[in-house]
Amino acid sequence: MADRLQFSFTLMFHYLFPIATMGIAPFIAWYNCRALQTGSQLCAKAARFWTKIFAVAFAIGVVTGIPMEFQFGTNWAAFSAKTGAVIGQPLMIEGVYAFFFESVFLGVLLYGRERVTPVLYAISATAVWMGSWLSGYFIVVTDAWMQHPVGYVLGRGGTIELQSLPAVLLSPFAAWQYAHVITGAIVAGGFVVAGVGAYYLLAQRDIDFGKEFLRTGVIVALLSSLLVVFPTGDRNGADVTAYQPIKLAAMEGLFTSAQGAPLAIIGMPDVAGHKLIDPIFVPDLLSYLAYGNLRSNVNGLTSYATELWPPVELTYYAYHIMAGLGTIFIGLALVAALLLPRGRLAQTPPILWALFLVMPFPFIASEAGWVVAEVGRQPWIVYGLMKTQAGVSPNVVTGETVFTLIGFVGMYAVLGLLFAMLILREIGIGPALEDAIAMPARAVER
Amino acid sequence: MSVVAFCLLAGMLSVYVILDGYDLGASAISPLLAKTREERDAIVASIGPFWSGNEVWLVAAGGTLFALFPRAYAISFSGFYLPFIIVLWLLMVRGIALEVREHLAAPMWTDFWDVALSLSSVLLILLFGVALGNLIRGIPLSADGYFQGTFSSLLNPYSTAVGLLAVAALIQHGLAYVADNAAEKLAGRALQYIGRVWWFVLAAYLAVTALTIAERPEVVSTTWIDVGASAIGFTGLVCVGRFASSRRRTGTLGASAVFLLGLLVAASSTMYPFLIRPYHSAAGGLTISAAAPPSGTLAIALAVAISGLSVVTVYTILLRRAMSSRRTTSRAEG
Repeated sequence: MADRLQFSFTLMFHYLFPIATMGIAPFIAWYNCRALQTGSQLCAKAARFWTKIFAVAFAIGVVTGIPMEFQFGTNWAAFSAKTGAVIGQPLMIEGVYAFFFESVFLGVLLYGRERVTPVLYAISATAVWMGSWLSGYFIVVTDAWMQHPVGYVLGRGGTIELQSLPAVLLSPFAAWQYAHVITGAIVAGGFVVAGVGAYYLLAQRDIDFGKEFLRTGVIVALLSSLLVVFPTGDRNGADVTAYQPIKLAAMEGLFTSAQGAPLAIIGMPDVAGHKLIDPIFVPDLLSYLAYGNLRSNVNGLTSYATELWPPVELTYYAYHIMAGLGTIFIGLALVAALLLPRGRLAQTPPILWALFLVMPFPFIASEAGWVVAEVGRQPWIVYGLMKTQAGVSPNVVTGETVFTLIGFVGMYAVLGLLFAMLILREIGIGPALEDAIAMPARAVER
Repeated sequence: MSVVAFCLLAGMLSVYVILDGYDLGASAISPLLAKTREERDAIVASIGPFWSGNEVWLVAAGGTLFALFPRAYAISFSGFYLPFIIVLWLLMVRGIALEVREHLAAPMWTDFWDVALSLSSVLLILLFGVALGNLIRGIPLSADGYFQGTFSSLLNPYSTAVGLLAVAALIQHGLAYVADNAAEKLAGRALQYIGRVWWFVLAAYLAVTALTIAERPEVVSTTWIDVGASAIGFTGLVCVGRFASSRRRTGTLGASAVFLLGLLVAASSTMYPFLIRPYHSAAGGLTISAAAPPSGTLAIALAVAISGLSVVTVYTILLRRAMSSRRTTSRAEG
């Protein structure tokens, strides 16, 4: 148990930082390209500011990401030995194709301002963005294969062998899961940019930057929080319905099968009693969402053997937290966007406060989404093929994993504190440093 | 084909050692080498843009091991559970130190992070060396191929000697990097230090060579690759000493890279035909061919890895050239 706790702790901590980098990277590329195009000092300084934030998140992401690459082997040796011929491929490709790309171009972005041409600098910003998203793709492909294995054959001695690499890399399940994950990251990026903008306006400093961040952030947050529900969340849900019906039942807290299954908006699952406590239902809606028909039958948990159930409470709450927060994001972004014309948003402190305070929640929503995906997959480590219990390292004893769990908790507490200090410091310094950023002569003339 | 995969993996790890080796070595020796805080700043600044890119080679090699030899990945990582986790923690301390040092430049904390950086770097090099030593010496394995033994059994005299050689060799490598990149005064002192460290490296090299022959007498007779590579490495080491005393800075760094490459090729070839050699040829052990997936998978994985790495090499070189050419022209203008 300690090994799984350790793995999920290190994974969830790590995942915060890729959300931040994948969410912020497009803004860096956008501001750099705008600066190149218009010669705007505001855009150039905005790009530099977000690059600094990105760099801190990237560094913590790297030092917490290296353990993930190692922990498949340390914690999940039996799983790695059996499935490595398949899942090793996307992980290798991530390292060789995406991680190098991102880190080398980030080096240019951080240290190359005076050393490379402005065009190459803007290209590097775009490359960092592409690299971070590509990196995310191969990680999601790995996970998607564990959710819905494709492109494999069973080899001698029960190993799982690769049959088709394109089938693994281009799995439709992975594509929709990735689209959902990446739009979730953009929601986080959009709300962080808008939230920092709201902070500058509330604190009455860096007003020009505040207004710019607010406008761009709110528009991105609105578009992405719509896309994260439809089509990406919807398609992802369709895949879960088709391939992982038990997970669907656990997510929705549906214990008994029903034609015209209701959708539980709130309620607390009583697993022993096979019911939801204090629920608020929308009748027939779950059947409609799952199958597009109000009278369709949706299988409840009790139609499956108990040993195939995932931990119901965790899956249920994680899903409801994600979906509930997603709804709030749409509402808030919509209100903020409606106030954007003629600069009214900048004069509406309650909404600015809401945008400022909402910043951590897209991260919580993304984490909750991963909990739904991974906890909901239990008891399988590879859905339908290999049980999680069979995947652990046979020769690592609990004493070792408890020790390393304690160590990681301590280490990550320090990391988290330092990260918060560094980010707050960068936001405190702000984007408006005195020195002008060198611009290509052509752009300045315009 | 599995031999090609083995060579690719050994090659990636060698690139990692040579690249990350200079920043590990430089940060390990920096508190002793630098006489002022400004000089320490200069050393850290010279590795700042490159260390994380260099570390990517370790991550990529880990991913490649996973894809090319999944069983070896599973057995070695779970077998060396505690050492690997400690390596992870040290990498973290090092990353934090480099990152925070740059952002929170208060003198008190700069001193603190420099010591943390140096200690974590020394320990990392030592652990990497000990791991390599154990792979050459052989590892006690159970019948089903998993590691049988404890952390302390890995700290045997032979592997510890390899670890000490690694520390000495990478400190020399780091000094050569500083000599090649720093301003005149610091570079001169780095060359002077190489003159002293060189004798330690030589002694450790000779000791490890003798101990390897004592531990595994057959290495001398079975293949010429390890003997030849070791000889090339020795030539590199001699050149390091000569170039350093004649103050040829880039030559010193190049010779140090040749020395490391020779040692690593020799070490890899003594492992052949095993990926995980059982101690004293007891039962078990994982040969290169047994660890590889079916040849179709291996061919695809190799093609993907080699083409990817070629692209990486091209754009890394192009970008580094773009960065350094502008720097020299702007210096000339200023």
